[in-house]
Amino acid sequence: MDAQQNRRVWRLIAGIVLLACLFVSFSAWGLGVNYTYTLRTVALGGVVLGALNGVLGCFAVLRQESLIGDALSHAALPGVAVAFLLVGRELGALLLGAGAASWLGVYAMHAITRTTRLKREPAMGVVLVLWFALGLALLSYIQSLPNASQAGLKTFIFGQAAAMVAQDVQWLAGMSALVFVVLAAFWKEFKLLTFDAEFAQANGFAVGWLNLLLSTLIVAAIVLGLQLAGVVLMVGLLIAPATAARQWTHRLSQMVVLAGVFGAFAGGVGAVLSAVDAKLPTGPMIIVVAFSVVLVSLLFAPERGVLATLLQRRAERLRFAKVVPLPERERNGRA
Amino acid sequence: MVALERLVIELLLLFVEHDALNAFLRDPRSVAVLVGAMIALCGALLGTFLLLRGQALTSDAISHTVLLGIVVTFLALTWLTGSTPDLSSPLLVLGAAGAGVLTVVLTETIQRSGLVKQDAALGLTFPLLFALAVILVTRYVDNVHLDTDAVLTGEIGMAWARTNSHCLDHCETITITEDDPRAQMTRQCTNCRQLGISPRDDGAQFREVCLNCGTYSPARAWQAGLIDQQPTLVFVPKSLGIMGALTLLTLAFVLLFYKELKVSTFDEALAHALGLRPRLLHYALMVLVSLVAVGAFEAVGSILVIAFFIVPPAAAYLLTDRLSVMLFLSPLVGVAGVWGGYDLARGSLFGVADMDALLAWANATFGLQLGAVWDVSISAAMVLMMGLFFFLAWVLSPKHGLLATAVRRLRQRYQFDTFVVLGHIDNHSGTARQAEELALETLHAHLHWSRSKLWRVLARLRALGLVQVREGQVLLTAHGAQRLLAFRHHNLIGRW
Repeated sequence: MDAQQNRRVWRLIAGIVLLACLFVSFSAWGLGVNYTYTLRTVALGGVVLGALNGVLGCFAVLRQESLIGDALSHAALPGVAVAFLLVGRELGALLLGAGAASWLGVYAMHAITRTTRLKREPAMGVVLVLWFALGLALLSYIQSLPNASQAGLKTFIFGQAAAMVAQDVQWLAGMSALVFVVLAAFWKEFKLLTFDAEFAQANGFAVGWLNLLLSTLIVAAIVLGLQLAGVVLMVGLLIAPATAARQWTHRLSQMVVLAGVFGAFAGGVGAVLSAVDAKLPTGPMIIVVAFSVVLVSLLFAPERGVLATLLQRRAERLRFAKVVPLPERERNGRA
Repeated sequence: MVALERLVIELLLLFVEHDALNAFLRDPRSVAVLVGAMIALCGALLGTFLLLRGQALTSDAISHTVLLGIVVTFLALTWLTGSTPDLSSPLLVLGAAGAGVLTVVLTETIQRSGLVKQDAALGLTFPLLFALAVILVTRYVDNVHLDTDAVLTGEIGMAWARTNSHCLDHCETITITEDDPRAQMTRQCTNCRQLGISPRDDGAQFREVCLNCGTYSPARAWQAGLIDQQPTLVFVPKSLGIMGALTLLTLAFVLLFYKELKVSTFDEALAHALGLRPRLLHYALMVLVSLVAVGAFEAVGSILVIAFFIVPPAAAYLLTDRLSVMLFLSPLVGVAGVWGGYDLARGSLFGVADMDALLAWANATFGLQLGAVWDVSISAAMVLMMGLFFFLAWVLSPKHGLLATAVRRLRQRYQFDTFVVLGHIDNHSGTARQAEELALETLHAHLHWSRSKLWRVLARLRALGLVQVREGQVLLTAHGAQRLLAFRHHNLIGRW
């Protein structure tokens, strides 16, 4: 069973890689995509971002915190505004501010769910809108200041994939590597935390700290992706690859690897597709590709997929009919 | 719609002067607060049911996907009629409502496959629909200018400026045609631009054009000086009209279907069994949420509108266990937030603190270089104010609040400490090991407590007259023995 599933996952990854290679050659010849330096950079950025978010998204989806990406990417805004007010327009400071604000948002969310009877969803909603409103208030205050350097603060929030430069991609790759190392180091703990947090606590793991660490990784991925890709893209990119990967396997390790591959595929192909026409936006195209992957997975995944379930039901019905023959009359009546 | 507005105006004029009404409707503050309060009322009532049904974030999803409905309807209308449709057309609103329902149906379809959980299903649906909308907008609709500021924060402060006029008296609609003596005619060159020639050149062709022809509503006719007597006009802000109608609709929905909503929210199976059609009600609720999201979009922006659905019900949920009370408290929080928020945006915190002074103080104290004038987005300030009320409810709620919980825990700890000591003394007094177990010097070790903790507890118990120290031993007083007995009887024996 395990060996069979392993083989299936490897075959799937090989298939995706093959599909990506075919797509690259097809897009160059058939769609007339010109692989310029800019496009190569953006596509590479999409691949890295997709892989990073796909991997981390697995944990968010399995913990039923899928919309955390939505909440946190909005919650980054006040941090950016405060960093701008205090330090000025410096990328490092803005990123740090965004991270700090999202992180505080995570903390507030956990505080609300722990100390009140509000569930996770409304807690996320409350943090999302309040942080965002604070950010907007500060932003409107900044705009009222006689200060010309505020321009571009908003694209920082809402992302501009086309503005990606090689240095951004290097940054992104470095941070992704760091995130993967942390993930590997705490693999056992995160696995336990995801599937049975109470058991983890009973066994003496510092669940609170681990929770915070995992949230910090997700915050890092979101903040990194935000300025390149925009808010809504981050939501989809976090959820879609993980959901697709979940359909093909029952093992967390395989799911994480698959989600990374799916995410990378969606990021790269979406970025290239958006280059077909100058008027196609990058972020939404990536989402559409990612959702197509989800749709294919939901329909055709073996064992769990919709098609497999239908076929299995049919087989069972036939088997049942063979084992328990109905009276002649009734069988005719049904036909 | 127009007739409804007219009816309300006629009703109001029975009570107030026409000038006073106009003054009220031309005041930015009163209009902003009124529109905000209406959004808060709708959002809080509908959001209460969303929260209790575990669908708080559905409003978030819907507020994003209505864009798809608007864009698709817009493109369809453009394609069908061949001209750019009016952005305030009611058909666009219908399209938006359709997109809201589509979001819910799609989410439920994905969820019902059993392969994806509810939160992930929602998180798959709305980015997809939103992405499609963005692709359509950037690909096909480039002549409609979308101001990002307007999308983000709305323009509730300017709500008073866009109005519909209603004429009450001396209403005269003027139509000017080309042969009217008032028509201003001029000649316009028809082929100059094509041929690149000046109107003075030979070969230029002209036609007569009327500059001021058309139909004038009474308000415009008076403005243009076409009528002598000033018409009696009432200017109703457009947002006020839209939100007023939506408020009536929401109120009617909640009041008429209160019983059905209540049953289907808390026990959908029972609602089914009683024949109350909970699915239909569910979709009606979602249509209303979409309509309010679209109606409020212009005033408070696409993201902040979610706050009106989520924050007030969340605050009310912390304060009460009864649906009827929650339905009363949650609009109250929303409206209070709107009220306080407008003033906050204009620099005054409940009329108590002045934000400009606060900024100056921050600059002076921390050496910051902040601007000295506090001028922020009104809608954001309203949401922040609701957040403040949420925070207050979180801390101060009499039953579930942080403070109440802390006090309860403290009292439980006191009680626990008290009866651990009393019980220990009672268990060992009169036994052979009494001298050892109850010695003042070693008692803390028997209880596995620190010495200081024991001293603290003993001091309290002695002050209450429950224990006494005699010959280096801690003993119960008569009062203490009585208390212990009562406690055991009530909590231990009584339970068994």
